Amino acid sequence: MTQPTGAGEATDFLYPFIDAQERDPQPLLADLAASARAKAVESATLRRATLEAGADGLAAAGAEMARRFAAGGRLFTFGNGGSSTDAGTLAALFARPPEGRALPAWSLTADQAILTALGNDVGFELVFARQLIARGDAGDIAVAMSTSGSSADLTAGLREAKRRGMYTVGFAGYDGGQFAASRDVDVCFVVRSQSVHRIQESQALLGYQLWATVHEHGTDES
Amino acid sequence: MTTVVDQALDEGLSADLAAASFALARGFSAGATMWCLAPAWEPHAQHIAVEFVHPVIVGKKALPAVALTGRDLVGTARVSVRSGDIVVAVASAADAEVRAIMRRAPAWGATTIWIGSGARPPAGAADHVLWIDDPDPRVPATGGFVLLYHLLWELTHVCFEHPGLLVADPAECTDEVCITCSDEGRLGEVVSPSRSGSARVRTAEGIESVATVLVEPVEPGQLLLVHAGMAISTVREEDGE
Repeated sequence: MTQPTGAGEATDFLYPFIDAQERDPQPLLADLAASARAKAVESATLRRATLEAGADGLAAAGAEMARRFAAGGRLFTFGNGGSSTDAGTLAALFARPPEGRALPAWSLTADQAILTALGNDVGFELVFARQLIARGDAGDIAVAMSTSGSSADLTAGLREAKRRGMYTVGFAGYDGGQFAASRDVDVCFVVRSQSVHRIQESQALLGYQLWATVHEHGTDES
Repeated sequence: MTTVVDQALDEGLSADLAAASFALARGFSAGATMWCLAPAWEPHAQHIAVEFVHPVIVGKKALPAVALTGRDLVGTARVSVRSGDIVVAVASAADAEVRAIMRRAPAWGATTIWIGSGARPPAGAADHVLWIDDPDPRVPATGGFVLLYHLLWELTHVCFEHPGLLVADPAECTDEVCITCSDEGRLGEVVSPSRSGSARVRTAEGIESVATVLVEPVEPGQLLLVHAGMAISTVREEDGE
């Protein structure tokens, strides 16, 4: 193990914790555990506030999505990076639920061949829009998950979805970004936080709650 | 579903997170790769990997993490994991593939972290168990696991600010006369079938030739307890019985 740069320099006294001579891990472990509990409280507080602030949106989106599923509509979810995985979890919750009726839902990042073909040939900005051109119908639903609310590939996807008559739902963080102001987004959920991690934790719960609301309404054909 | 929102992080789970993060930071400092598995909810494995490889906070170190997905996860993990690596799984205690991988990890020399909810895995099933005790099968889709692995990442990076604590433990066993090792069997996984009383066996120290006269016949993939160059017993695989 090589010593970290600067170890043992005369300025070490300025940084008591950046110390290559530190040997007892117990104070650090206690700090880490306390920090974990504080962050969990912060996360729970934000999740509760997010559900309260999003109550009307959840009711409206849940009802409209249930109506569309009942009429044969399908759900497409998409996002970038960690948000793409949260979009994947949401699609899986609809399509392979631990309980209740399975509904047609897919994540648009699931197929590497399509994603890389589109990214390489027409540009990354169109990776979701082009898939919706191929697959999306007027009765379908699009859910875009983002922390910034402004990623170009997501706004392009939502624009295409809206153009095709799909119902569009945006998940954003910070101040809502472009999703919050866009006429392409029927319902926008904004998690009011500056932390990507805390935003994603709240968005996961919002997605779960959206699924639960859809099932409260029922999705049987009328 | 108010339980999910109000889920508190109790003393036990926060201490487990701290210990797991410290182990991760030490592992990464020593060159480990983290292999991520979530057979029933694959996006969780991918979320963990992207978190460590491409941090959301600019300037934080990119760390080697890979999601393992698809079929035959045991086989994929077997060829991927090297001694000193870390395996993190998001799965229920009943997941047969994850159980098989966790059982083999000591023979591969890997440190293990098991994240899940519902009934807990048996004691000792992984080095670090980060568990939400709520039995509701919908918990994996509520963000509770996302919080746990976000905290794992955040705390791991705090540990990097303490380089003095991340060097290998000087008390760690480094030679063959170590009292700890010589007193008990080490776990090994058979690499090739036994021939004339011995087999090639993978342990945390590498692949070695082990006498198998006491346990024959042995097949590739089978787990053995190895003591002083001799397989002294086979390890029962409780799954599938």
